[in-house]
Amino acid sequence: MTASWSFALLVLGPLMAAALAFVFPRRGRGVALAAAGITAGAWVGLVREVMAGGVQIQRVGGWSAPLGIDLRADGLAVLMLMVTGLISGAVTLYSGRYFRDAHDLESAHRERYFWPLFLFLWAALNALFLSADIFNLYVTLELLGFAAVALVALAGNREALKSAMRYLFVSLAASLFYLLGVALVYGQCATVDLTLLAAKAQPGPTLWVALALMTGGLLAKAALFPLHFWLPPAHANAPAPVSALLSALVVKGAFYILLRLWFEAFHSLNTPAVAQVFGGLGAAAILWGSANALFQPRLKLLVAYSTVAQLGYLFLLFPLAAARDGGFLAWSGGLIFLAAHACAKTAMFLTAGNILHAAGHDRIKDLGGITHVPPISTFAFGLAGLSLIGLPPSSGFAGKWLLLSASLVQGQWWWVVVMLVGSLLAAAYVMRVLTRAFTRVPDATAPHPIPPVMEWTALAMAVLAVGFGLVARWPAELLRVGVPWP
Amino acid sequence: MDREIAMMSHVFDWILVLLVLALAWRSLNDCDLFRGVIQFIALGLLLAVAWLRLRAPDVALAEAAVGSGLTGALILSALVRMRQRERRGVPASASSDTSRTLQSGTSNRSRVLIGALSLALLTALGWAVFRFSAQSSGLAVESLAKLPESGVTNPVTAVLLNFRAYDTLLEIGVLLLAIVGVWALRRGERPGDDLRERPLLMSLLRLLLPVLVLAAGYLLWIGASAPGGAFQGGALLAGALVLGLLAGLAGRFLRRERLLRTGLTLGVLVFAAAGLLALWRTGGLLQYPAGQGGAWILVIEAAALISIGLTLGLLYLGGRPEEEK
Repeated sequence: MTASWSFALLVLGPLMAAALAFVFPRRGRGVALAAAGITAGAWVGLVREVMAGGVQIQRVGGWSAPLGIDLRADGLAVLMLMVTGLISGAVTLYSGRYFRDAHDLESAHRERYFWPLFLFLWAALNALFLSADIFNLYVTLELLGFAAVALVALAGNREALKSAMRYLFVSLAASLFYLLGVALVYGQCATVDLTLLAAKAQPGPTLWVALALMTGGLLAKAALFPLHFWLPPAHANAPAPVSALLSALVVKGAFYILLRLWFEAFHSLNTPAVAQVFGGLGAAAILWGSANALFQPRLKLLVAYSTVAQLGYLFLLFPLAAARDGGFLAWSGGLIFLAAHACAKTAMFLTAGNILHAAGHDRIKDLGGITHVPPISTFAFGLAGLSLIGLPPSSGFAGKWLLLSASLVQGQWWWVVVMLVGSLLAAAYVMRVLTRAFTRVPDATAPHPIPPVMEWTALAMAVLAVGFGLVARWPAELLRVGVPWP
Repeated sequence: MDREIAMMSHVFDWILVLLVLALAWRSLNDCDLFRGVIQFIALGLLLAVAWLRLRAPDVALAEAAVGSGLTGALILSALVRMRQRERRGVPASASSDTSRTLQSGTSNRSRVLIGALSLALLTALGWAVFRFSAQSSGLAVESLAKLPESGVTNPVTAVLLNFRAYDTLLEIGVLLLAIVGVWALRRGERPGDDLRERPLLMSLLRLLLPVLVLAAGYLLWIGASAPGGAFQGGALLAGALVLGLLAGLAGRFLRRERLLRTGLTLGVLVFAAAGLLALWRTGGLLQYPAGQGGAWILVIEAAALISIGLTLGLLYLGGRPEEEK
């Protein structure tokens, strides 16, 4: 009973809030805070049920799959919902001031539309993580994609509009590929439920083509190298809280569906060769994204390329988690890494927004001399960087450590090399920003003061990105609930 | 006799297939954008006929109304605006950049690449469909078996508003999101008021608009037992709204911002509230109390009809109606 209400409120809470924020444009912030409270309560209720009673299933409408739609909460879903809730909460607090303190006249208009669009994004993410139905997942992808594109366009300038347009085309095409795959799966298996598919799906030409189409679409949405080209401009030109949401959460939605498809519904098609291809693309993403991040002139572009690289680590989960030895090690490592990256990237983009606000630009070579005014922001950036590089005791370290141990246990040493090189490159690009920020220039221009709440939310996320590593045992326990293999 | 009819429909189907392919090709490749759009509208109508031939009249109705009618109107109005901008010599913006790329066409190399990719996709799809292991009827048997419990007798409505109502709730959210996104982007342009000068057209509209609204209500009602429903009715309502906008009849209505926003969100809010109410009454999300399915569906669909009609109609403005204070 409690679980039913949790399911309903996690999705319908933000959805109804989005509609209300549109009807009452001046009350957007209050509505978002109320939605944050409701989803937090619903999440607490759900996690208690999951810890006590295992996987929770809600049969929507009282029909069960295959006819109806099942919602399902296992450890993985609950973890993703927690990350979403934490980051959305931080973004809610941050945005309450961000749009009010912008320098131009358009900011009031932007704030009015930010709240409903943001709440739609939140509802879409919660619905996505709870769904156990590949067609319903398509609908959540539509909601997620449109909300993300509209939020990028909200920045309003020429560059933002261009990158939003490109993002829209990629996102729409990717959705269509996914839908085509779903249609083929339904034609072959007469069900779209993840659990039923796991029993029914047998390797065959139709399912291979279907899975290839769905995977292609999802890889474009998850911005895995070489389909990452739309991400840096879109994430760098969006307003700072939007960049945080996109990098921390939106791309992970597509990754989450890939996990559900390859490790659950179509586990019988997940061969070592397929897993190595995913891992190879991930490795390429790590090297390419990190190398590009080193040479970016602007801070937000650097952070965006760092996202391209960090997404690569997530895909190392494919070759490492499929094996019987140390599979769960890699599974929990990859997902802890995902949570760590989400918190660290939120902190970084919010900090980048603070620096833009204070200095009026984010050119890395001119960042010198701004530290003595916003030290909290710089500290937040440093802490988040710690987690991105993967230094102990941060959660980035915990995630990487588990992935490294898994690859050593399985003798797949080549991923170890990639991860070490990636960490060195991450250290280089994080230091590149910090060394600039710590140099004092005598004639530094007096920056704009930053509202305290904007600095403290960034710092809180950075602290989470580090501190989550100290309690990494808990998410690993949680992830055992409903893990897709025995 | 039966054989002749079967033969005839076979020939008809082949003509339909060839026409669809030819129109699709032409609408993509015509160097005159206007002609391309007209061919796209015709393509939508032919696709509706194709859906009829596949015995899916619900999809055919939606395809004709939304895929051909409203989408066609939206693309045409976008085209007109693009031309007006170019004539006024508005400095190059993101939108006219797109139009230039469209008109100049893509480079030869990318054409070859796209062609090769499409061919690969076609081959893979053909192979997949050709190797379909069994002729599966999907979930048709299950849904027909449960139809009496759904509260309606039209299986499509039963799937959309009962078996998979949760999908539909989120889809109506997508529609609302679409208009919020468009309003966030820019102010709309008021379509010309010059139709007022044409008395004949105005008297036609005076007849036509009430009929359209009535037909929308009829489609909603009949959806319980025959092809129809909130989406098809909403599309008609949207058509009526577009005509009213074109004739300059909706000016005063457009200034009532709070009313518009309430109407636009009504579908999502009523649907979601019904879901929660059902949860409270029966313990299951969107699980209607036994025997009351028909009534619940009608209320939800009525709210959805208003929102769908308003959303699709107001999209025609290409932006938010009034500058907000």
